[in-house]
Amino acid sequence: MFAQFFGNYLLNRKAVTPEQLSSAIASLTDTHIRLGTLAMHKGYMTAAEVDEVCFLQTREDKRFGEIAIERNYLFEDQLEDLLKSQNPDYLLLGQTLVDTGAISNSELEELMIEYQAENEIESPTDSESVEHTSKLIENFLLSAERPVSKYSVMYLNLVFNNLVRFIGEDFTPLSPVQTTGYETNYCVTQRISGQINCVSSIDMEPQTAVGFASRYAKMEFTEFDEYVKASLEDFLNLHNGLFSVNMSNEISMELTLDPPAQELDPVLTLSDNAFVIPVIYPFGTIYLILTL
Amino acid sequence: MDFTNKKILISDDSILARKQLKDVICRVGEGAEFIDASNGQEAIDKYKEFTPDITFLDIVMPVKDGIEAVKGIMEINKEADIIIVSSVGTQSQLKSAIEAGAKDFIQKPLDSSQVETLLQSHLG
Repeated sequence: MFAQFFGNYLLNRKAVTPEQLSSAIASLTDTHIRLGTLAMHKGYMTAAEVDEVCFLQTREDKRFGEIAIERNYLFEDQLEDLLKSQNPDYLLLGQTLVDTGAISNSELEELMIEYQAENEIESPTDSESVEHTSKLIENFLLSAERPVSKYSVMYLNLVFNNLVRFIGEDFTPLSPVQTTGYETNYCVTQRISGQINCVSSIDMEPQTAVGFASRYAKMEFTEFDEYVKASLEDFLNLHNGLFSVNMSNEISMELTLDPPAQELDPVLTLSDNAFVIPVIYPFGTIYLILTL
Repeated sequence: MDFTNKKILISDDSILARKQLKDVICRVGEGAEFIDASNGQEAIDKYKEFTPDITFLDIVMPVKDGIEAVKGIMEINKEADIIIVSSVGTQSQLKSAIEAGAKDFIQKPLDSSQVETLLQSHLG
């Protein structure tokens, strides 16, 4: 999950522009992680050494590892470690931004160190643990000066995991935005009631909905039809169903779900505790609207 | 599997869910005739009209929910083969549907091997 939030971190730090980030996300699937980026992340090489080896590669027909060892920037055992190690997924986004010229290797090196420290990331596998994802979401809400409640962290933790599971991991959530009036595109809402009351909506432009539905239903949709519309409702219903099961299992809280329905009002009137989270995917931006 | 002359009623308010279930069934076998319903009352009416060999019912539906639909269909035919298609978060309703007479259940998102096993046991 660190990859998804790394993009938002870069935006908040003003290290990249929204356009540079969107463009990098769109080309993520075509990018493969390189040895130099990994060596820098592990602290085996500095950004300057990586840049030098990359430059030498344009002059000599040799592999990156070969040149780095010749120059004593890397030891054999370190190279072996890099080739077999598990890599944190946010590196790919960082490297794509370097490739597109949005940031330099030395900027990436610095940003990675700061990002790891801020989110208490110690090993690449940390991103799999619930505690680390919760910490990440707390920081995400705090960075937007949003109140951090146990329920909003639980809800968002699940929603991001469900996006990874049912739509794909190639997304970046942008900081939550507070607004009193939200202009809808195609918007579906589901209400949750019980010991807590929550209104959840998912909104997107029709063309984005086509991409979203194609991934969710694992079918190739080409037009904004009734199947596409139903996909949005099904996703929201599935997610909220899982949320209610989790709440019941984890804290014995029983919740009731209303059927999801299309929002017909062109402008949603939101209360003070509502927020909108834009989530950028290569096929478009989806908006999660939550009042909890 | 050969589903020739078999009538399958699928009742779900989500047109996507109905399509996904039909697609899975078509991958398992050929020849089935599908009947659609988008709410519980329509499922009861279509059951009466077509007497399907097997009926798939979603639990959460408008007008009449899946549990009421099971009861309505059981009044027409006590031997009706009814399969509940349950979503997450509907475990207590699932129990009520089984008590009302549903024979089996499958959970969304659908698993094609589970659907195949179920069809073999009920239509095979």
